Amino acid sequence: MNLRAGRYWIGRLDWIMALTTAALVAVGVAFIFSAGWRGPDEPGGDFYRKQLFWAGLGALVFIGAAVSDYRRIGAQAIWIYLLALAGLVLVLAVGREMYGARRWIRLFGVNIQPSEFAKLATVLATARYLSLPDTDPRRFATMIWSGLITGGAFLLIVVEPDLGTAMTLLPTLWVLWLVAGVPPRTLALIVLSGVLLMPVAWLGMGEYQRERVRVFLDAERDPQGAGWNKIQSAIAVGSGGFAGKGYLKGTQNVLGFLPRTVAPTDFIFSVIAEEKGFTGSLTLLGLFAVWLGGGIRAAARARDKFGQLLAAGLTTLLFAHVFVNIAMTIGLLPITGLPLPLISYGGSFMLTTMLALGLMQSVYVRRHTAD
Amino acid sequence: MSARLARDWELNRLRLLYAAMLAAFALLIAQLWRLQVAQGARYERNLARQSIRRVRLPGPRGAMLDRNGQPLAENRPSFSVTLYLGELRLSKPRRVSLADHVLQVVRRLSERLELPSELTERDIRRHIQQQLPLPLTAWRDLSEESLARVAERLAGEPGVDLDVSAVRVYPQAGLACHALGYVGRAEPAEDAEAFHFQLPEWTGRAGLEKVYDSALRGSAGGQLLRVDVAGFRRDVLDEQPVRPGYDLRLALDTDVQRLAERALDGVQGACVVLDPNTGDVLALASAPGYDLNAFVPAIPRALWQTLMDDPARPLLHRAVAGVYPPGSTFKPVTALAALQSGEFTARQEISCPGYFLLGRARFGCWQTQGHGTVDMLRGIRYSCNVIFFRAGLACGHEAIADMARRAGLGAPTGIDLDQDSAGLIPDDAWKRAAQREGWRDGDTCNMAIGQGAVLATPLQMAMLAATLAAEGTVRRPRLVTGLRAPAAAVFQDIPPVIVRRLDVAPEHLRLVREGMRDVVMAEDGTGRKLRVPGVTLAGKTGTAEYGAKGSGLKRGWMIAFGPYEAPRYAVAMVVEEAVSGGSTVAPRLQQLMQGLFPAAPAPGGRG
Repeated sequence: MNLRAGRYWIGRLDWIMALTTAALVAVGVAFIFSAGWRGPDEPGGDFYRKQLFWAGLGALVFIGAAVSDYRRIGAQAIWIYLLALAGLVLVLAVGREMYGARRWIRLFGVNIQPSEFAKLATVLATARYLSLPDTDPRRFATMIWSGLITGGAFLLIVVEPDLGTAMTLLPTLWVLWLVAGVPPRTLALIVLSGVLLMPVAWLGMGEYQRERVRVFLDAERDPQGAGWNKIQSAIAVGSGGFAGKGYLKGTQNVLGFLPRTVAPTDFIFSVIAEEKGFTGSLTLLGLFAVWLGGGIRAAARARDKFGQLLAAGLTTLLFAHVFVNIAMTIGLLPITGLPLPLISYGGSFMLTTMLALGLMQSVYVRRHTAD
Repeated sequence: MSARLARDWELNRLRLLYAAMLAAFALLIAQLWRLQVAQGARYERNLARQSIRRVRLPGPRGAMLDRNGQPLAENRPSFSVTLYLGELRLSKPRRVSLADHVLQVVRRLSERLELPSELTERDIRRHIQQQLPLPLTAWRDLSEESLARVAERLAGEPGVDLDVSAVRVYPQAGLACHALGYVGRAEPAEDAEAFHFQLPEWTGRAGLEKVYDSALRGSAGGQLLRVDVAGFRRDVLDEQPVRPGYDLRLALDTDVQRLAERALDGVQGACVVLDPNTGDVLALASAPGYDLNAFVPAIPRALWQTLMDDPARPLLHRAVAGVYPPGSTFKPVTALAALQSGEFTARQEISCPGYFLLGRARFGCWQTQGHGTVDMLRGIRYSCNVIFFRAGLACGHEAIADMARRAGLGAPTGIDLDQDSAGLIPDDAWKRAAQREGWRDGDTCNMAIGQGAVLATPLQMAMLAATLAAEGTVRRPRLVTGLRAPAAAVFQDIPPVIVRRLDVAPEHLRLVREGMRDVVMAEDGTGRKLRVPGVTLAGKTGTAEYGAKGSGLKRGWMIAFGPYEAPRYAVAMVVEEAVSGGSTVAPRLQQLMQGLFPAAPAPGGRG
């Protein structure tokens, strides 16, 4: 890339989204530090330092993806998708089992979660298929094929088992259909049948997943066991009150009521809500709303169908993570191990989030302009 | 559909999508409002309930000092090795339970400190289950030698600390044990429910420890602890300091008390020394006694059982709770009643043949060959029964009872002690109630010489001696003369209390006092064995039979005061198994008097 192209690229980047991304990463690092905090004479864990490293690496991934032409990546979508599926098969075969699930592969001393990359690959492939010139969104076959592409990855992630991650693919597919032009009546029918199929899904769930749902419906059922995190998270969030207890003043994680393993990861929002209160929660949600708006903006101004589908799909995927994570933290949804984008501690997820943002920016930079 | 419309729908779809996302966020915000604002207080309470613990800390008990400031009950520092489990947990290897780890630490320390372990595995487990946030005491009350070893070898050991606490100690061991009383573990305080943990607290179970418990007992402080999820103490949020109790200044004089107890050496009985000018109890001795320190921190069950089963009844406070027929020591009361009534005069002489006939009943004088012609003055000196039968019958039993009650007999003395016994001054109503028959002259005869149903405690008889010494002023005996607030320098004085005046003409009182002086000072006085060179003493002996008639079991009594001219001491002493007051009690009391009047040179081995 020469200098002129560089200046052009920088000028056309969505700076609002870039800055909100940086702000969210900063919030994440600050509260990962707080989640590890045990007092002035007990330095907390070094998670926040690792997260800084991942954020830096993520920034490179972001720039790399934004600079690359999404259309050239899209052309390779089928291979990327198949590679991702191979990764998912591999994790089932040789993956490390942690907390009763095979989700990680150890590579070069780092635990990698193939399902994180598979989500992106799936959105990429599905968007690519739906944007092909001879794909007619009004035909039933189109839905079958695109459903199969998403469904393949979905099933492989479900059997890990990682239902939470897999579930984020469903609204994403639905939004892809919507954006692709599937008739509204068909889309409504799908939502309806989805609701009707819920009892069937219950029967298909593993026992630990059912238990999570039961605990969600009645947390007092097993307060020392499965319901623990839900109750303690609610206490953390609720006791934060309107203004919060102040940075590093939260006690739920320090005293270990919010388990130390989940405080910096899946339950980072509890830590923030306890220390920063309702005002802090509101600020964070506002930040996320602006941030997601950037993705919608990219989709709206995409120069082609594929770009629009890609940006809308990735935005929905990230939105699903934000919504489900916070909703489970505050007791609106069952506990699923879904991280909060840019905030939760975790390398794989930081990189895939940055990759998704980079792809959206690749679309936005190359946007359709009237002038 | 035109191209423009299609384009609009495309854009509107995305706007719809964004609106749906914002709507979902609105749902989250609604729930956050509910949790953090609407129900925030509730969750804050939940938070406090699971992570805040209240601990009640007892205040240290006040001290008891004798009238010269010598400590009789106080606190001494007791050093204990305590384990902080929250810190020990950090060095705990995985897969080892906390209890096992603590047990290992205790064993290791045990070797290093050369102290046998006092903790069992059960103690440790119970502590972990019930009192996790509190430190666990591994060795309590270290000896000085162990303390030095601990200080030397325990420095820097994580989770192990040296704690100091206050332990009750009685520096004089068994001295005045009945008066001082002892403490026991308190029942949980009334506001106990507000606390999660209570450290053991002590409450007075007997004697002054019990009567002045509310003053002695400090006010409890508290600690607000924050505990972590496992229940370990994390930090102290707030602390309310404990306040120590009041110190008591006692009327007791350690030296006098020791003399009194020595005088009782080897017998069962009691001895009371009062200051007739104030009512101060200088000594309050009951024999046998016990070592108060055996009750700290708790009396061993076996020892308690031994004390309870002992036929000598060491736990009985004979000086205030022991009731005995006063025998002839009661005669001054009869004398005063008769003289004051005018029915018997000081000049009246009677003849004592050694007995007195009341109808067919024969009432003997202790001197079977008789005292010959006696008047009241000599009657007291010889303790002649016959003159008192006559005097008593002359004034009537009501006059005697009235005089006795005014002298403080037949009712609790009002001393600041529990078990303050009333004794018994019988009358018509009492006899009807107890024996279903009316008063007879025979009863009057018995009463006149302090026998029959008359009962008195040693303290009451000492009070009588004090009243006679103080020219008829009846003072309430008292043990505590002052209270000192915690951290205050001086004691707040408690003024002495005058109960009443005896209301007897001075000449009658003088006669009785002179008679009592002769008891000791005259060559033929019954209490001559009391004599101490250099000081004029007055007294009255008494011997009362008890048990089956003719069993030969006798209580020996003596009351006394001195110096005769300006009395400083009034004394009563009883010995439960005596030959007579004059031969058994007087020599013992003489020992005491010799101690009280040390200026007088020792009487060369003859009494």
